Amino acid sequence: MTHRIEILAHDEDGRAKALEHALKGKGKNVEVRVADVYTSDNEKAASPEFVISLTNPVSQKANAKLEDFDWALEIGFLPGVTDNIGHTASELLQLAGASNDNECYSSRLYLLKGELTKQDIEELSEQISNKLIQRISIKSKQEFDADGGMDVVVPRVLLDNLGAKADEVDLNVTDSELEVISQKGIANADGTHRGPLGMSLLYMQAVQEHFKKEGRNPTDLELETIAQTWSEHCKHTIFASPIDDVAEGLYKGYIKRATKEIRAKKGENDICVSVFSDNAGAIIFDENYLITDKVETHNSPSALDPFGGAITGIVGVNRDCIGFGQGAKPIINRYGFCLADPSTSPEYYRDKALTNPILPPATIMRGVVEGVEAGGNQSGIPTPQGFVNFDPRFVGKPLVFVGTIGLIPRQIKGKDSHVKCANPGDVIVVAGGRVGRDGIHGATFSSVALDEGSPATAVQIGDPITQKKMSDAIIKEMRDSGLYSAITDNGAGGLSSSVGEMAEGSGGFHVELEKVPLKYPGMAPWEIWISESQERMTMAVPPENVKRVIKHLASRGVEATAIGTYTDTGRAHITWDSETIMDMSMDFLHDGNPETPLTTTFTRGGDKEPELAEPENYNETLLQMMSRLNICSKEFISTQYDHNVQGTACLGPLQGKGRVYAETSITRPVFSSPKGVVLSQGLFPRYSDIDTGAMAAAGVDLAVRNAIAAGADLNQLALLDNFCWCSSDEAERLGQLKRAVEAIYEIAVKYETPFISGKDSMFNDFKGFDKDGNEVKISAPPTLLASSIGVIPHVEKAISLTPKAVGDCVFLLGETKDELGASEYYDQLDILGQNVPETNAHENLRLYKLYGRASRDQLIASAYALNFGGLGAALAKKAIASQMGMDIDLSALNLRADKALFSESTGRILVTVAPQNKEKFLKNFKGYEHIYEIGFIAKTEKLNVKNTLDIEVSKLDEAYKATLKDY
Amino acid sequence: MNNTAPAKALILAGYGLNCEEETLHAFEHVGLQGEIRHLNDLIENPKELQDAQVLAIPGGFSYGDDTGSGNAFAQKMKLALWDHLQKFVARDTLTIGICNGCQILSNLGLVPGFEGKYGVRSIAVTHNLSARYQCRWIDLKVQAPSPWLNGIDRMHIPVAHGEGRFMMDEETLEKLQNNRQIAATYIAPDGTAADGEFPYNPNGAYGDIAGITDDTGRVLAIMPHPERGMFTWQRDDYMELKDKAQREGQTLEEDSDGMAIFSNAAKYFK
Repeated sequence: MTHRIEILAHDEDGRAKALEHALKGKGKNVEVRVADVYTSDNEKAASPEFVISLTNPVSQKANAKLEDFDWALEIGFLPGVTDNIGHTASELLQLAGASNDNECYSSRLYLLKGELTKQDIEELSEQISNKLIQRISIKSKQEFDADGGMDVVVPRVLLDNLGAKADEVDLNVTDSELEVISQKGIANADGTHRGPLGMSLLYMQAVQEHFKKEGRNPTDLELETIAQTWSEHCKHTIFASPIDDVAEGLYKGYIKRATKEIRAKKGENDICVSVFSDNAGAIIFDENYLITDKVETHNSPSALDPFGGAITGIVGVNRDCIGFGQGAKPIINRYGFCLADPSTSPEYYRDKALTNPILPPATIMRGVVEGVEAGGNQSGIPTPQGFVNFDPRFVGKPLVFVGTIGLIPRQIKGKDSHVKCANPGDVIVVAGGRVGRDGIHGATFSSVALDEGSPATAVQIGDPITQKKMSDAIIKEMRDSGLYSAITDNGAGGLSSSVGEMAEGSGGFHVELEKVPLKYPGMAPWEIWISESQERMTMAVPPENVKRVIKHLASRGVEATAIGTYTDTGRAHITWDSETIMDMSMDFLHDGNPETPLTTTFTRGGDKEPELAEPENYNETLLQMMSRLNICSKEFISTQYDHNVQGTACLGPLQGKGRVYAETSITRPVFSSPKGVVLSQGLFPRYSDIDTGAMAAAGVDLAVRNAIAAGADLNQLALLDNFCWCSSDEAERLGQLKRAVEAIYEIAVKYETPFISGKDSMFNDFKGFDKDGNEVKISAPPTLLASSIGVIPHVEKAISLTPKAVGDCVFLLGETKDELGASEYYDQLDILGQNVPETNAHENLRLYKLYGRASRDQLIASAYALNFGGLGAALAKKAIASQMGMDIDLSALNLRADKALFSESTGRILVTVAPQNKEKFLKNFKGYEHIYEIGFIAKTEKLNVKNTLDIEVSKLDEAYKATLKDY
Repeated sequence: MNNTAPAKALILAGYGLNCEEETLHAFEHVGLQGEIRHLNDLIENPKELQDAQVLAIPGGFSYGDDTGSGNAFAQKMKLALWDHLQKFVARDTLTIGICNGCQILSNLGLVPGFEGKYGVRSIAVTHNLSARYQCRWIDLKVQAPSPWLNGIDRMHIPVAHGEGRFMMDEETLEKLQNNRQIAATYIAPDGTAADGEFPYNPNGAYGDIAGITDDTGRVLAIMPHPERGMFTWQRDDYMELKDKAQREGQTLEEDSDGMAIFSNAAKYFK
């Protein structure tokens, strides 16, 4: 018998109140009550012990009679979707005496009272649920009474392919048939296909050739494994391929080379310890510790299920940290969202029949913000660092960046902690969550709606607590005993990728696939092997330690299983109930993909530089600028992200009394050391409309400049590159890419800030239909996110953006040029222009070195690195942060006031200096020509720019905070 | 107490608790001997409680807040450790639950424990009125006599929670007030009562309650995080404070408001 337990919350429930409030905003007076529902067919589910354990007697009632409502709306999960609440309920059921394989499912019931139509409820349900992963059930009070309540639903996965084996795939076919296999997937017996392999014909032919030589056909599992291993996602073929006359490709020819040259030049002062070779990059923190950093993107999943995409992204990149070297402890999270304007709702569809609309920008924004919140907060990792960038072209494919910084002792048991290698004979142990059909062919979403009963495979939801238990057991308890030789995470490609990569160390592996624990029976071997089920780590464990490892993890509530052995046979070998289903050479698997030379073209974009009339009212102009999406406050994100867990936050995401949303954070990760980790980033997607080189250089410059401004030591600063490109099969887009890569090579080498890790996502295009059924393609602007990670020698020397005292002098450092192309100011006027900011790394470096000396000598009271909205936005943010007035005179800049205020020239820092430090400060910059004393912090409540504007700080504050205040 | 050996604090961990390391650091900083103990290890060897003077349940997200924050962890503790816990609090010991720990103590009924009767759930610590996680700095006024709170008047420390709203029926609220078991309330920066106003009262807690004690004052359940405001460099206004100190030629105190709670524990066992 199936038991359904409804736990009704009291009238004052915060979740109910928030929904009432949201509905009120839409002009509807509704009373809402919330019930948490648990469904299980375990006999113990009816026991009072279990029901009591689910009910808080002060605020909840179990199985009360539900009345006094007009509509009932229930939202539950579809079969196979991660149900974390259900898992916890299942553990409570175990405490009540049920066996540990009991199943329990959660759902949430809303009871609504008010004047509402069925359509209102349907609209509401769409706003608060996602039909890709959730089921919705709506009943009027009459229906509810007639049916005796809501329906009892048990969303169990039922697969009908029990006893599945590996199938042979016939590759003795024509080229066009090879293409069909690649595009649609391996054919099933019933004529359906398993989903795209995504390999080019060239690759398919190489596979065909290989197996011809072997004298046999591949199994489905072998073919799927090759497709995973050779995918753009795993091999980064575009960055690796020869391009024009660069035989080494962009990655080796520019990015890796930059790091190599910088390390050689710095010699003994090299800060790099592990670059590009592991799940994250690492630099020296101090004599005892390394810090690691990795930034990932999770764009496609977030377009479909923003919450699921973002939470899987953040807990996934946490595993990159846990999987660095012998295992680094996650100490800080980063986030970054590139989105369309949430106040708009452009109408686009994925299908020609116009039945499958894209999600509205506001829904995507809420979802991705919440996803990182849930993942980061529940994992106990502070998330102080991030940004949001808006452009209408992120409408179909948002960019979702997630990153994690780790801390690891430089030596563990006398060995370098960043070194790991699976040894022949080591046992393959998989720890964490079980394997389901989650994320199979995750990279290639089908737009087919999922029907009831079929497991939702494309979309995944992270389970941060399962991962937290595993992470704590490994990093905080096991790591320092040296029980394993190597560890890595299961991300894209699942076991095929984690075991495959680690086996490159030993020289082969043998996996007994039937030993892998499953969420539900009936999965085919190839599905188990490439499933991207989350929260799993793979370890190489010497045989004598296996029992201890598994036992320890079990004592922490974490399942771990030995599934095979690392070998030195040179073969990738898998058996399924003793029958061989994969036997391939490691060399072919990892290096068998043919080279694909690329060619490029490049055309500079942009329009003519306009001749504009000067604004008549600068007060109004500045208010408009401050309320622009790329300039306004994103405080609502910072306050819901736990940014001070671990007790290490020193300079947070909101600065000053006026709580300005800052670009840079400082964290003190080791209580016994005064050093701080300085994090920042830079990106300017719109600059690509004119020149991707300028875009990329400006991003790197800002990432460096932000960190330097806050007090980071330029000599101990590293970079991460994340390219999010579009249409990377077009020569022109590749030309834009090459130009961007050349630009960041030059600037990084100049600044001597090495790249330590990077990732790319090359096809951020939305292909679909507009509301009239016309085909549309919306490409995200080519975007480089440059992230910086550095060290400040003592947090006492940290510099915030907030001015500290009336009477302090205001200095602008760096040259302001007529560079408004693709700026926020031009965009406000709907103009693109031509003069995109060019970055002069040589000039900037001169300033940064001088600035570094001044900050070490503590001569600077506050600093802000200019970015979107230029000097005007910077002055306003300083005034808002301090809630103090400023008297400013910009005549020394020799530019028309709008250009002086809103030019986005790079390389500039706005600082305030205490009068008693002014002389030393000027002496420090002696001989530097681009230092401008432009005014002082005034005992007024206004920002005054002589002959230009005069406006109350309170008005600026309001404009800055109004735009996103309702999210 | 033995004057030579420092008192011993056990700090619980596991199942998603996540503030155990900084909480341990706080106790060690004030001279206590501290050890982190996974819940399952304590269940395996509950006699350890007999050698401890302080039990701390730190902040975190046990069981992901599923089925109600702190609920599942409390259910597990109650089932496996209840007798030992009762004996522990009956001795002259100190117990603190911070944030998730506060929610766990409430679900266990170790607070409010009216008339020494532990185990009754009469307080709910539930969803913030904003239905959103709130990570922000707040001001507290200490209201109750408790060994943990001796000599403290106000504190500027952060909250970070999604379910921090103290709720109870009127009778319970009255009893808490009459027995002086309301440990601390949220106030506006000017020192006046927050009176439910967001963000000074960050979650809509009845009576602006931020923490409560049992009727001995030795068990403290508090939502804000003293260990995240124990050093001056952790403060949200650190940049302003250090600039001012530098201009005035002063040196900043290393410790900040939150440390006093841990110092009080050390003093109690001296």
